[in-house]
Amino acid sequence: MTEPRNPGMSSIPQTAPVHTDSTSPAVEMDPVEYTLRKRLPRKLPKRRNDVYVNMKTDFRAQLARCQKLLESGGHREICVHGLGLAINRAINIALQLQASSQGVLQLAANTSTVELVDDLEPEDPDEAGEPMTRTRNNSAIHIKVFYPDPQ
Amino acid sequence: MTDGSCVQRAFFCFLQKMSAAKVKMREKKLRNQPASVQYASSSTQNGADTPATGGAGDGGPSTEKPKNAHQRSGWVRGHQKDGGGYVKEMPKYITAGAFARTRAAEVSAMLKAVSKTTGSCHLFETLPKHMRRRAMSHNTKRLPRRLRDLANRMREKSLLAGSKKKKEQPKSKSRKARRRHGNLLLEFNRRQRKNVWLETHIWHAKRFHVVKKWGYCLGDRPTYKCYRASYRAMSSHCLLQDLSYYCCIELQGEEQKLLASLSQLTSKEAGPTFAAALSLSGRRQGSVVVYKAGQYPSQPLGPVTFLWRPRVQGSTHRQLWIWAHPTIKKDLLPELQAVCQCYEAVLPPAVPVVTPAEVVPTLETEPKPEKTSDGKQVTGIKRKRTCKDASGPPAKKILGDGTRSPTTPVTWRSSPAGIVINDLTMEIVRYRLIGPQSHSVLAETLEAATDCDEIHKSQPSSLWWPEHCKDESKMNLHKQQADVYQILKGIYSTGELPSGAVLGLTVDDPRLTLPTKKVKALPCVKQAQEVDEEKRKELMLRGVPEHCCQSYLWEQSVRDNVTDNKISEQELNCMRSEVLVPGSRLSPTPLQGRVPILLVHQPGKQVGHEMSSWGAGWDLLLPKGWGMAFWVPLVYRGVRIGGLSMSLKHSQNKGAPHFPHDYPDCPAGVRFQEEQEAELLVKFKRRPPAKRTNYIKHGCLAPFRCPWQQLAEEWELIWREAKEEPKGNGQIQTTTEADTAMEEEMTLHRDMTVTTPQSHFTVLRNIKSLRLLSGWCRPTTSKGQRPCRVGQVPPLDRLAATSFLAAHGMSLVWVRLSLLSKGKPERHAVVCVPTAEDLQLLKKGPGSSGPQEPQHRDHFKSRIKRRKRGPKKAAASSAKAEGKEPDLPSASEPDPKSASEPNATTSEEPKSSSDLIFGLWPDPLPSVTSHCSRVTLGWVTQGDFSLSAGCGEALGFVSVVGLLNTLVNQPREHRGMFLLRNPASLHYRFAKINIEI
Repeated sequence: MTEPRNPGMSSIPQTAPVHTDSTSPAVEMDPVEYTLRKRLPRKLPKRRNDVYVNMKTDFRAQLARCQKLLESGGHREICVHGLGLAINRAINIALQLQASSQGVLQLAANTSTVELVDDLEPEDPDEAGEPMTRTRNNSAIHIKVFYPDPQ
Repeated sequence: MTDGSCVQRAFFCFLQKMSAAKVKMREKKLRNQPASVQYASSSTQNGADTPATGGAGDGGPSTEKPKNAHQRSGWVRGHQKDGGGYVKEMPKYITAGAFARTRAAEVSAMLKAVSKTTGSCHLFETLPKHMRRRAMSHNTKRLPRRLRDLANRMREKSLLAGSKKKKEQPKSKSRKARRRHGNLLLEFNRRQRKNVWLETHIWHAKRFHVVKKWGYCLGDRPTYKCYRASYRAMSSHCLLQDLSYYCCIELQGEEQKLLASLSQLTSKEAGPTFAAALSLSGRRQGSVVVYKAGQYPSQPLGPVTFLWRPRVQGSTHRQLWIWAHPTIKKDLLPELQAVCQCYEAVLPPAVPVVTPAEVVPTLETEPKPEKTSDGKQVTGIKRKRTCKDASGPPAKKILGDGTRSPTTPVTWRSSPAGIVINDLTMEIVRYRLIGPQSHSVLAETLEAATDCDEIHKSQPSSLWWPEHCKDESKMNLHKQQADVYQILKGIYSTGELPSGAVLGLTVDDPRLTLPTKKVKALPCVKQAQEVDEEKRKELMLRGVPEHCCQSYLWEQSVRDNVTDNKISEQELNCMRSEVLVPGSRLSPTPLQGRVPILLVHQPGKQVGHEMSSWGAGWDLLLPKGWGMAFWVPLVYRGVRIGGLSMSLKHSQNKGAPHFPHDYPDCPAGVRFQEEQEAELLVKFKRRPPAKRTNYIKHGCLAPFRCPWQQLAEEWELIWREAKEEPKGNGQIQTTTEADTAMEEEMTLHRDMTVTTPQSHFTVLRNIKSLRLLSGWCRPTTSKGQRPCRVGQVPPLDRLAATSFLAAHGMSLVWVRLSLLSKGKPERHAVVCVPTAEDLQLLKKGPGSSGPQEPQHRDHFKSRIKRRKRGPKKAAASSAKAEGKEPDLPSASEPDPKSASEPNATTSEEPKSSSDLIFGLWPDPLPSVTSHCSRVTLGWVTQGDFSLSAGCGEALGFVSVVGLLNTLVNQPREHRGMFLLRNPASLHYRFAKINIEI
């Protein structure tokens, strides 16, 4: 669908070779080009003892935050959440917490599936029609780190 | 000597000494002298005082006068040679009675003159010099006692006179009269004659620094400290702004014709246009950059957002709102008129669709206002009429009305195409809520309108809502819209919604549910769990269904009706006072309290991979007059309020260009740059020269503006030179080679500029080219960036670059630069190319702080000094200077460019000598690219420490040619690494370049 329109689109003849270069791999994938935009995952209200782990913040900073919550924050339990790539890191944080507490802390892990929404916007704006929206699933982990009750 | 002559002599002695002003005063005093007293004016008349002539000798002296006329020029003393001085014979006897009688008048006049005081100087003159003190005039106790009373009296008199003068000037009414409602409104209307107030102006004026901009009075920033708090509000709660100053232009006509004429203004290459399917259906707000008709890559006007009214079944007649910044409106409106051929100015009531029926006959009976096209006055008449018909409250003057020039028409139509353009400036209030919680603020503030009672439905009403309630289909639509609105409450964050979604709604007057205290609106997801999960998912995926985007805000008749019938604050308070439980909701909603609104979703950050959908929010569109009724309830929900400076920060964090600041190719952007330069220059000049930053020494050519045109031209020249060079040695062209190329450039520069007509620079907005460039900028290995995207981009080599540049030789491209380590970029910081040695520095460690610029020398300093030395010398030395000047720069300057300057310096000499400013380069700038030790690529237009990224971030433009040249020559691992230097610093900082689309 893009192929016949392409020469008409590039008004300046010199750019034509560049354009075909850029579009040719895309044409094989999809008849109409789309831009993928990911929407944010659905959020839920956050308590004070919830920790959402991400891949951008420094690992040590996130670990320190959890430790602070448990020790001086006065919380008996905290929840460490990780989504997708951050699952690994969430597990890592939970284990580090347990190790540094000399085995006092206990862990309880839960997994879940989170539905994510992607927007596909057509690159050729006008006639290409509707922008599409699709959903995909991603795994998540929720680890409860807590002091067991003393009974 | 007799008394009289004594006095006279002293008197005249004095007269000579006195200045002209005092002479005048003295003459005034003499006017009061008794008529019988004669003041003789010469020494010869001393003789007239002889007792013989004393009694009746008045005639004697006057006859003598002409004889000695030649001698009377001066005051002569002592014995005269001609013997004219004294009458030799002394009187033998004096008649005491007669003598005294003749002197009586004289003496009394003298006494009078002595006792009468005129000025303070007179009083102090009575004291001998050694007794005078400086502070006597203030503290009368310093005077000798005998003079104190006099001085006191005089002081009081002078004080009284001064205060009287002061009081006379204002001559205003009493405060009570001034504060009376009608007078206050008059005063307000007078004050906004030049700069219109928004409806929230008075609210803002109490809390904000208000600036006069673009014909409006706008809040710039709050008076309290809230920079970080506002950022937090934007990223975690909600920030509210009043954007009513944006101008709305309405277009009506056949869909095809509208699209055909509007397509001339935009291009598909720059992204979705007015015809984009989703926007055209009315479900989404679109945004485009508008160009002059048919001029696409050049001559842009500026960015606008637009909104189509959803289609009405079986009609091709469409309505379109274009929202533009006030600075564009001036350029955009004529352009729209040109493409739609709408030149006939029409009065507002003549618009066919929206006219209430009863107004037309009155206009036909009065042709006079039509002739003068006195649009405003006519609407005023109309408003009054409709109100009388409705037997509602008397019409109140709406704030901001009547300020537009009454002779300007607001509607234009074209008879062949049937398109109507309507200027809806100030007709619709627009509020922007930014932040993830903005929809929970909305959900708490606004409630979907309640239905009417049966009684009201049955009887006809002039209000719009009861009429609507009668119509079953309209009520169905309202129910569906209310349902969608209910689902919205169940969503936690604004960023989860499809971007640009539109929802029409009718809501109750939000003042009815005003909380007694300010509360922070929080999301109520728990409660919303009851809301059908399926419906929520449907909304997330599909967005708002098309028919729900319809709103009665589009109808002018409804808008006017709602505006006219607004319940006043006073009436509302009366109703509140009658409520049984204080503070509870007013239970039967008054009939006037339903308002049609439009909610428009604003997408947050859409470009780039980090912080996606940051700063998303909702726009709230309201009919005119309801501004404050919605503003205060919103504020009571714990939002922060931002001004102009915060909207700049908002777009900066989003990485988006902000309108007048970052559009240097638009006429409004050019105007803004000029204003900014003048403002910064004035600020700079306010400092004493010794305390100013010497920008010449810092190697900064233009600290207050960015000479984009010169930059684009120079880079284009470099590129052309490089192309002509044999390709063999151009394989690895280092920056030093580029420097040598520059030298040749500069020698060529002069005749080149004369021969070739230079085209104007453009900003690259072609999506495909931008995508290509963005791929090339990315280093192949970097944290957080997926290599899979790079795979799609063809590898960057000389050939690809050349073919790309052939199309975009004179282009600039919008880039974001994030600093690797320390540093806070500032406005007009320079973006430079790092040399190979600099990149070695980078290899050593990521924390290295970057190279230094050697200090430049200020040759203009001596010139300024010479000019200071004296204007008379300058003329003499100018001949000498001309011989000396040319070799001065080349001797001291390490740069190659000044070698070619000699003729330039001499030619600029006469002009620059007049406007040399210490610390700034005079106007004809030398080559901007090669002025510093690193080659310049572009400048930063906005820069700050970014709270969202946690490092210094800058936004600006770089030359496409320069960018590609550099990228080709850079090693792969350091691709996209540049240097950034503030105008008042010599320190370069490493920065990573990003082109985001």
